Amino acid sequence: MSTFKIEHRENNAINVLDLKGYLDAHTAPELEKTFQSLIDTNRFRIIVNCRDLTYISSAGLGVFMAYIEDVRRNQGDIKLSNMSPKVFNVFDLLGFPLLYEITPDEADAVKKFQETGKPPKAGK
Amino acid sequence: MSTRKKFLPRDTTSEFQRRFDFRSLFEFSSIINSSTDLGFILGHLLLTIMGKLLSLRGVVLLGSEETSFRIRSVRGLDHGLLGTEIVIRRIPRKLISVPATEGAARSRWAKFFSAHGIRTIIPMTEGERVVGLVGFAPGQIRRKLSIEQVEYLTSLANIAAVSIVRATAYAEVDLSNRALNRKIQELNTLFELSKELNAVLDPERMVKLLMFSVMGQIGAHRCFLSLRRGDGLVHVLRKIDGDIPAGLNRYLGGLKEPVIVSTLTGPSGRGPRDLLGGIGIEAVIPLRARNELKGVFGVGGRMNDRTYSQADLDFLSSLGNLAVIALENTRLFREALDKQKLEDELLIAREIQRGLLPADLPKVRGFSMAAVNISSKQVGGDYYDVIPLGGGRWVFAIGDVSGKGTPASLLMASLQASIRALVPLDLSLSELTGRVNDLMVQNTNHGRFITFFWGILSEGDGTFTYVNAGHNPPVLCRKGGGLERLDRGGLILGVMATQSPYDQATVELRPGDTLCLYTDGVSEAMSPSGEEFGEGRIDEMLSASEGDPVEAVKDSFVNAVTTFAGAAGQYDDITLLFLRREDA
Repeated sequence: MSTFKIEHRENNAINVLDLKGYLDAHTAPELEKTFQSLIDTNRFRIIVNCRDLTYISSAGLGVFMAYIEDVRRNQGDIKLSNMSPKVFNVFDLLGFPLLYEITPDEADAVKKFQETGKPPKAGK
Repeated sequence: MSTRKKFLPRDTTSEFQRRFDFRSLFEFSSIINSSTDLGFILGHLLLTIMGKLLSLRGVVLLGSEETSFRIRSVRGLDHGLLGTEIVIRRIPRKLISVPATEGAARSRWAKFFSAHGIRTIIPMTEGERVVGLVGFAPGQIRRKLSIEQVEYLTSLANIAAVSIVRATAYAEVDLSNRALNRKIQELNTLFELSKELNAVLDPERMVKLLMFSVMGQIGAHRCFLSLRRGDGLVHVLRKIDGDIPAGLNRYLGGLKEPVIVSTLTGPSGRGPRDLLGGIGIEAVIPLRARNELKGVFGVGGRMNDRTYSQADLDFLSSLGNLAVIALENTRLFREALDKQKLEDELLIAREIQRGLLPADLPKVRGFSMAAVNISSKQVGGDYYDVIPLGGGRWVFAIGDVSGKGTPASLLMASLQASIRALVPLDLSLSELTGRVNDLMVQNTNHGRFITFFWGILSEGDGTFTYVNAGHNPPVLCRKGGGLERLDRGGLILGVMATQSPYDQATVELRPGDTLCLYTDGVSEAMSPSGEEFGEGRIDEMLSASEGDPVEAVKDSFVNAVTTFAGAAGQYDDITLLFLRREDA
């Protein structure tokens, strides 16, 4: 049984992924598959809502790294929202706030997309 | 305040001022002591001073080393000054003034402050130590400081010093906590990866997991993984722009320890430094298992732009080695699995073969018989059979199906079924052989064939009519000397449909004569030096064993062949069938 679930929905024409449970080396391929299918269908404006994400490991973070360039090259972005302090700590510890926009609430992320429609920080 | 001044006596004004200052100091102290944020403490110190004096500019410097200070907070000045290092050899121990013009200032640091309009410097002292300095421009209304003001500002600076020391210590603890947490995270990553790699058997997925773990933990955008195959390298993971230049293979294949690409020296252009730099790789790490280079792992720039430390390289080595060992184990496991599959298949073949060979030899009146079949590890397609026809007539058959394993044993089963179905028909052995051949041609479409010999013995008069379809000619050893080879017949079975009939011939087995049927596992048994057992040895042994019981002859043949092969081992099935007409 998988302890990780992804649900995909749209919010103001932006793709929202609701992550649930444990994102680790075991479940990372599921997130990879989801990102890949979004990119394959030219959907590059992505918000990852982490409200129900209980744990993330380095392998989980790696999936974000693997896709951010592709997404930004296509004038999109991956923004993250609604992180629990525990999950944010891991992102923060490994320096992710440098590269990713992390908002307290999904609505803030939507607003940022609507304001710019472009990534806030240039990818490398 | 000025209105109050009119009505109150002068010393009371001063008293009032003192009380005001005291309360202000108390408030300041409780505010900055409630925070561990250095930036907030410094900012609040500056604002308090500037508010008190109505000054428009302020700066705080904190000591980094003995005489070295760095600008850590500014108000009313260019923020670009933050971080600037200023060396002060004779550190002021009390409030001092800086000359208004740069020219009048004697030291370099005084000139610097003068140039930025900072005219007063106060040391912040904690015990004996000057923690830092706070400087500011003259107030907008009263330019000269009163004694009370100097006292007030000195107290303020010293209260701030205590908070600064506390906040700095806190920040250091915080920093080492983060470093510790990162280490824990690294260990978690290693642990998690090793757990997952053990549970996964798909090499592609294993490589992906490694990539994610590295990208997540190290924050690298680019990486590659090359594995050693024979003398070359196979690039199993390429998260880089473009391809890994072929010119790098030799360099990577000889990598001894982790290397930071920027530290490489050597000619520019086609050297490893430029080639690796060209694909955005900043560090390469050799991966070893069982003390051999198994692969190379390369990583590119990081999102925080930091260079790779020794600790990072150690971590990457551990991670990479873990993956390489797991990949290697998977490969070995697959090989073992394939081998097991092959062995299972051979076991089936051996079972089929065993089921086809006669369990016991029948009793033929006036004749003695002995037979043996020793299947090789690979299971060849040897076959022999003795079938009663009734009326004192017996079929003796021996054959060798080409190939090994299950396919050979299945063809052998088909041969046996054909023979047993056809022999009851009232046909000559020549015709029967033609029919068997036609059936085998239909059943063999992969270039398989069978060497086959059979004959029909009449137990009464000892006549033996045979057809040899390409099999090693059985040897008839006459009593008292003389060997005959039974080689009449035709083409091997299964190659082409019967065109011309097989020759058949008849010999007579006289009392004391011995007929020896064998397969090439006997004649072509190989010694460790590569010599064949050969027909000559068979002839010699037969001639020498005249009169011995056939059972004993059989055993001595088996002994001779296995001794001859010795360490070379048995590569093909060994089948022997002896038939002797007893002396009357």
